[in-house]
Amino acid sequence: MDTHAYLVLAVLFLFCNGAKVRQDTINGDLVLSKVERKIDITAHIVKVHSVVTVENGGSSSAGFFLVALDPSLQNYISYVGATVKGEGDKETPLAVSQATVDGHGDKKFWRVQLPMALLTGKSIAVAVEAVYTHALQPFPTEIVQGEKQFVVFLGNLYFYSPYKTTTQTTIVKTFSSNIESYTKTKPVSQSDNTISFGPYENQAPFSEAELKVHCENNSPFLTVTSLERIIEVSHWGNIAVEEHVEMRHSGALLKGPFSRYDYQRTQDSSGSIKSFKTILPATARDIYYRDEIGNISTSHLRETDELVEVELRPRFPLFGGWKTKYYIGYNVPSYQYLFNKGDDFLLKLRFVDHIYDDMVVDQMTVKVILPEGSKNFELKTPYDVVRNKDQVHFTYLDTTGRPVIVLYKSNLVEQHIQDFELHYTFHQLLLLQEPLLVVGAFYLLFVLVIIYVRLDFSITKDEVKESKMRVASLVEEVQNAQDRRSALYQSYDDAINKFKANKEAGALAAARKKIDGDYKQLTTQIQGIQAQLKVEGSDAAEKVAEVNKLDRDYKELINLAIGLAEKLVAGKLSKPQYIESEQANSTKREEIVKKMEDICAGL
Amino acid sequence: MASSIESMNRYVSPINPAVFPHLTVVLLGIGIFFMAWFFVYEVTSNKFNRDIFKELLVALVASVFMGFGVLFLLLWVGIFV
Repeated sequence: MDTHAYLVLAVLFLFCNGAKVRQDTINGDLVLSKVERKIDITAHIVKVHSVVTVENGGSSSAGFFLVALDPSLQNYISYVGATVKGEGDKETPLAVSQATVDGHGDKKFWRVQLPMALLTGKSIAVAVEAVYTHALQPFPTEIVQGEKQFVVFLGNLYFYSPYKTTTQTTIVKTFSSNIESYTKTKPVSQSDNTISFGPYENQAPFSEAELKVHCENNSPFLTVTSLERIIEVSHWGNIAVEEHVEMRHSGALLKGPFSRYDYQRTQDSSGSIKSFKTILPATARDIYYRDEIGNISTSHLRETDELVEVELRPRFPLFGGWKTKYYIGYNVPSYQYLFNKGDDFLLKLRFVDHIYDDMVVDQMTVKVILPEGSKNFELKTPYDVVRNKDQVHFTYLDTTGRPVIVLYKSNLVEQHIQDFELHYTFHQLLLLQEPLLVVGAFYLLFVLVIIYVRLDFSITKDEVKESKMRVASLVEEVQNAQDRRSALYQSYDDAINKFKANKEAGALAAARKKIDGDYKQLTTQIQGIQAQLKVEGSDAAEKVAEVNKLDRDYKELINLAIGLAEKLVAGKLSKPQYIESEQANSTKREEIVKKMEDICAGL
Repeated sequence: MASSIESMNRYVSPINPAVFPHLTVVLLGIGIFFMAWFFVYEVTSNKFNRDIFKELLVALVASVFMGFGVLFLLLWVGIFV
């Protein structure tokens, strides 16, 4: 996306916020009796942690108090949160929302809702955390390879507040003890990498004084300039996540040449970024790390019970002002983040996930691709995001396209790693749409083949060929009929054997009658086909006639065998005699069957 | 109004992903058998002895097995449609 579109979005974002921002007034009765502020500038983001003791000196109770942001830092704000220490030192988060105050239009306020109304004379200690990004300015702005990086932090010496502050202290924690200079408003002291300011007594509301710290900071100044997180939900049990990351080293720019030799020789690569660690969910599978060229092989994966850690090493180390681009993706099983009750579905997933420690994301786009046919979207986010118009995405086996929920947010840090909830409805039977689509495609192919074989583009009718085809089909019929007739021969044999065993003449007669019926029908059929073959003038007709002749011989032999068996059962024939004649009979029958088979096969 | 998360169950695939490979092999095996039968029948029969109902029936069976087999093949290789 180009910068123009982002500008429009930023304006949109302001509008959305503007609509939600509420008008508040400054309660003059509140006093901050004690403020302990810790400013952490060890990384490339500024974390300000203030423990504020709010005292109500008025006559009415107060339900909230306001936090103002330093004018010098307010444009860098990324996150504001507040917690209060409850029972057992457990920190409970408080509701925080942006607010405006009449007559202070140039300032940014955040309203902190107290856990209970603050009664007259009572006080409460609230921890307020604010995270600022890009607030540290590298100075000098350009350094050569191997040179240490120095940054300037410009802040407010006093806790910027709409209320009177009785006593306050500030501790600045720097990256190392190498500090060039810092504001020396007494009382102030420095030991190792901490500078303590204060206590300063009785400051009026909105008091300001410059706090400047110029110190070494070689922590990786890694900024994700653009992050696109694509979440594709499949109801076949998978959620695919892919992140497109564009990152930049936002520290002091590299001046002069880059020497790979020096870089390899000196292990402390001051400020440059060699690799970083990304933490993925424990159930992540099929993880890939690629860019335009393809797989980036310099990565390592470590799986533990709670998480999957990927160590990513870009193709080149990042120096000040250098950029890189990659994408990382993985699959997670649906039961991890998808819930349902009938056709109601709920996707509960992190809006932004960990990329590296103390991360900064300038612009973020989240795209949630839902299955085709999902409807009634309802979104709940832990913080304000801009929702764009839904899009449509086409991928495998789609017809009308899958709905895509598009969300934007700018300036995110680690504290924004929170779940969003997306409710939607999806008719579960629609899951069958995809396989049926493939089934339909195959069936269409087969039908086309069926039609194709029936097409005949010949101009003249080829009688010879036609006749051949007819003969071929008749021959097939003869073969089928003959096969069935052979089966009947077998039935005769079975009937005879059965008769010999149980000696029931009635059963034999019944079986014989039944088989005779089928046999006659088949014989008539074959004779009919033989006549047709004769009409075609085929040689096959003679062969079929031969088969029929053989068949008649066989039938006679069968009748003979039945006669023999009857004689044996009646006792008119001795066993050895029977065996002898039966032997001769069956040998003949086998010979005939073989002959018939040979002729049929040669048709 | 959408239901709350407490009243919902974790969603699992109607078919256990662990059996995708087996399903693929079995369904595609049957599907390919019927497809082969269909094509052999088409090329060996002529206009006097082919039977349209038999053709359509074999094609239907082949396409059902091939369709589901191909779907599970896609799921098996990681194309989650």
